[in-house]
Amino acid sequence: MSGRRRLGLVAAGATLLAAAPISSIFDSYTWLMQCLLTVGLIAGAAVGARTLRFPAWAQALSMIVVLLLTLTWLFPSGEEFLIPTPSTFGHFADLFTQAGQDTRSYGVPVPDRDGLLFVTVLGIGSVAIAVDLLTVVARKPALAGLPMLAIYSVPVAVYVDSVPVLPFIVGAIGFLWLLVSDNIDRVRRFGRRFTGDGRDVDVWEPSPLAAAGRRLGVIGVVAAVLLPLLVPTISGGLLSQLTQSGSGVGVGPGNGTGGRINLFASLSGQLSQADEVDLVRLKTDESTPYYLRFGVADQLTTNGFGSTNPSGENIAQGLPDPRTSTAGGAFAEHRAEVQISDKLAQGMLPVYQNTIGLDGLENGWFFDDNQQVVYSNRRSTKDVAFSFDYVRARYTPQMLRQAERLNPDDPIVKRNTSHPDDPTVSALVTRLTAGKQSDYDKVRALYDHFSTKNGFTYRLSTQPIANSSEIASFLQTKVGYCQQYAAALAWMARDAGIPARVAFGFTRGEKDGDSYVITNRNAHAWTEIYLKGFGWIPFDATPAANVAGAARSDYAPDVDLPEPTSTASEGAAAVPDADPSAAAGGVERPDRPDFSDQSTAGSADSGTGVLSGTAFLIIGLIALLLVLLLVPALRRVLLRRHRHAVTAPKAPKVRSLDGPGDIVVTAETVKARADAHAAWDELMDTMVDFRIPIDPSETPRVTAQRLITDAVLLEEPATAATLLGTAEEKARYARKPLEGGELTVALTRVRKGLARSANRRTRLAAVLMPPSVLMRWRLGLAEASARLVTVSGRLRDVLAKASPRRLLPHRGR
Amino acid sequence: MTTPTWDEPGGPMPSEDFRAATSAIMTNIEQVIEGKGATVRLALAVLLAEGHLLIEDVPGVGKTKLAKALARSIDCSVRRIQFTPDLLPSDVTGVSVYNQEQRDFEFKPGAVFANLVVGDEINRASPKTQSALLECMEERQVTVDGTTYELQAPFMVIATQNPIEMEGTYPLPEAQRDRFTARIAMGYPDPRAELAMLSGHGAHDPLSDLRAVADAAMVRRLIATVRDVHAADAVQQYAIALVTATREAPEIRLGASPRSTLQLLRTAKAVAALEGRDYVLPDDLQALAVPVLAHRIIPTADAQLNRRTTDAIVAEIVHRLPLPHDRNRSPYDTRNGGGAPTNQYEPRGR
Repeated sequence: MSGRRRLGLVAAGATLLAAAPISSIFDSYTWLMQCLLTVGLIAGAAVGARTLRFPAWAQALSMIVVLLLTLTWLFPSGEEFLIPTPSTFGHFADLFTQAGQDTRSYGVPVPDRDGLLFVTVLGIGSVAIAVDLLTVVARKPALAGLPMLAIYSVPVAVYVDSVPVLPFIVGAIGFLWLLVSDNIDRVRRFGRRFTGDGRDVDVWEPSPLAAAGRRLGVIGVVAAVLLPLLVPTISGGLLSQLTQSGSGVGVGPGNGTGGRINLFASLSGQLSQADEVDLVRLKTDESTPYYLRFGVADQLTTNGFGSTNPSGENIAQGLPDPRTSTAGGAFAEHRAEVQISDKLAQGMLPVYQNTIGLDGLENGWFFDDNQQVVYSNRRSTKDVAFSFDYVRARYTPQMLRQAERLNPDDPIVKRNTSHPDDPTVSALVTRLTAGKQSDYDKVRALYDHFSTKNGFTYRLSTQPIANSSEIASFLQTKVGYCQQYAAALAWMARDAGIPARVAFGFTRGEKDGDSYVITNRNAHAWTEIYLKGFGWIPFDATPAANVAGAARSDYAPDVDLPEPTSTASEGAAAVPDADPSAAAGGVERPDRPDFSDQSTAGSADSGTGVLSGTAFLIIGLIALLLVLLLVPALRRVLLRRHRHAVTAPKAPKVRSLDGPGDIVVTAETVKARADAHAAWDELMDTMVDFRIPIDPSETPRVTAQRLITDAVLLEEPATAATLLGTAEEKARYARKPLEGGELTVALTRVRKGLARSANRRTRLAAVLMPPSVLMRWRLGLAEASARLVTVSGRLRDVLAKASPRRLLPHRGR
Repeated sequence: MTTPTWDEPGGPMPSEDFRAATSAIMTNIEQVIEGKGATVRLALAVLLAEGHLLIEDVPGVGKTKLAKALARSIDCSVRRIQFTPDLLPSDVTGVSVYNQEQRDFEFKPGAVFANLVVGDEINRASPKTQSALLECMEERQVTVDGTTYELQAPFMVIATQNPIEMEGTYPLPEAQRDRFTARIAMGYPDPRAELAMLSGHGAHDPLSDLRAVADAAMVRRLIATVRDVHAADAVQQYAIALVTATREAPEIRLGASPRSTLQLLRTAKAVAALEGRDYVLPDDLQALAVPVLAHRIIPTADAQLNRRTTDAIVAEIVHRLPLPHDRNRSPYDTRNGGGAPTNQYEPRGR
């Protein structure tokens, strides 16, 4: 087997090793099988193409074709047989979209989703092709490290805190293998290895000639490892903010069945999507329905809120009826029909709270009694249509106030009140709940705290919360959106000893005929509080005015409403009735950040610090860059002004009227000479700026004439150029310099004339990046470095004299 | 010999008079030599620079005519020597003859005892005879039999030679060539001038109609005016740099002498004065470098094999050599690292 072919196989192997980091992304190893197959086939194609002595482009083409065929085979649309058809590509596009959604919806590790697998296989296949071409065709295996590193960047982007190290080592080994193979191949092609002492050296024996290279390598590695330790890190700063998505989940004990959606990431993903897409169409016989919910986050750790995996029984077993299990409340039974669009694909079914029966669903859906969510590990909500019965409970504050205190040993309390210790939060809770007796009153006190009056501001552009300290800091900055509000209220309730969790779902949506249309803009999070005898009661602390389709109940009215604040007119739509109140149909898409800015104009903008700090930094950096770019132009302008400026002449040192050659040295002549020289220097710089060559062997007269012919100066500029030449000539060589010449005017004329005859690029460069300034700097730099070399050489000579080696006999051998 | 010496040339002239006088001479010569303004001007410049002129060209282009026209335009003593192989040094310098009446040796002055000496076909004489000119050209005196005779002022030798025909000629030795301030070539006339010459010469010899428009005294004053022309330090530096460059050029075996520096600057002064300036420009030096320097240098064997003429070598040096400049002021000289000294009258430390 020839070296090239073997190298191709090594490239394929190295690519597979470099793909190791993907293992931390996926839950199972389906991807590995598919990647093995793909990379193997690509390598086979490459070997085949090389055996047939295809040219380089044909090798690349054959590999691309094989990748395409493999993708078609692995991810068929069902309408083709191995040969891709237009529908295949349509299918691929769907897979891409699906992968995009999945990345928004799932935390790592993800299950085997077709879209994600497709993207993975496509990516690894492309990397395999790139590595093969770089290594075998271009013979630049070092460059092949870049695409291999790109694979590793995937887990780096996903895991913010702790990136798995082992996969990186595996990938690095693959890369080293590639480098070693390539070098061995080079040496073998060269022929024998020799060390310089006439002895053949085995391939694996380290050559003494390479000692310098090894030393350099060691120094490079040490420097690469040590230097970053010295540099201040930015973890927790910019980087973590940029690679935010998906943190806060993925930890915790449950890494078992199926993918767990990172609900917070999913929520912010939905809300921050650029376009509005319809997700759910719902028809209910209830006049003012509450929120659709599909998931809860019930674990509060230092990593923020997270979800436990739901577990429960098949919905075929029937759902519990709250009327039998809870004490109070006025119940009314309703029925709703739901049509979910293909844009909402998740394993959690959006239903109303207290659903008692589901129809029209395929098998495979389960109900978690604790979380009260309907979920599936296999099924997706995509394009699902179903109907369900639910019970709507209506509470009054008086009823809820009757709720007994929970026993602290109750498992519900234990599970739903754990929270990180944060003295500031505890102090705030203690202050707010002071004097409150019932759980409900305490919760109300906490709930009422989140009012515009208290300085809370809704802003969708806030970063999603990543850990508990960010929830706590929300209580300080008071700027956030539903995530922050819901999480903060839940934490505070937990701090007060009341079980609380964050529920996720959709607000009511917009009425369209007799049904509601729910879009991604309706995605929402709110708090659920457990009250004994009543179960989980929803409290939505997010300002109703800022949430499309928000709803309030009279046990948890809109806290901003009675206040004549700036939001009053908008909030008026959310008048609480006796029933769960209607929220603003009239509020127009208030989730947009610009709107929230308007509505909270009066509030403190202390919370803008984080965001605008980054923005300021970026703007500052850009401004600095612009300023740096403009420095040459500025320098040029200043120089010109300096030369144009009429400076008072210094008195000549020697005032002699009978000097050699009868030179008359007076203040006037000195000044006239200085003026002529300054004007000439300026003319030289202008010529350089306009890319007219300067010839140091030319006299001023000839230079001026050449300028006129080269730059095709006519009339005025030509006269001006001649005048400048004459002035400089006389200043240099004549007894008396030219006095009273309009040199500044002449300069301006010449410059204009030059600008007229130059092309636009030259003109622009003359203004923005004057070559004269750049050349001066370059020459200055060269001179300085030459001086440095001279000085260091002298120093070395001095040191060499002091060296004791000089005294050794036979040092020259 | 009671004529004024070179050191008492007379007072300088106002520039108007200078211009009138010089243009009269030039116009006069151009009646005979048509379409050769630059050559005529250079010849006059050499006269005003107190130098000697070597006119080198093929036969029949008017070398001798130029020399004679210049001589005739100035009302002063003119002698013509036809250099032949059997010419003797004493024919040039003069000889002491025994006077039987006075019973003493009497000095009979030779051909050089004139203001203008036209030496025709100088390379046809033997080196022995050519060498007779050495003393008189440089020192402007003749020593015969232990007696030194001063020559008149102005004194100028205008020699012609034919560079093509080498049979029976003796090339000028280095020392002799170095004494000539400038070597000029006549070049063929353009067709129009040649036509005018045909119609003119057909009737009569224009040379015979030529009237003198200046005399020796005026020439002395003209020379004094030229001496007064200002050469700035930068210009002098440049002259030195030019001559030094010929000594350092790799293609040249023997560079130009210090005498040539002096003559270069003098001729430049004359040219500047002829152009109405009272100061010398580097442009003048550049224009004069080839006529003044080229005939003095000896190229290396390599350069000769490559058929590089000395004219071309000097022209290239002129083209390459940067002007003396203030390094603080002008950063654009990157060709020749050495910074030449600057004009001391330029403001420093800006």
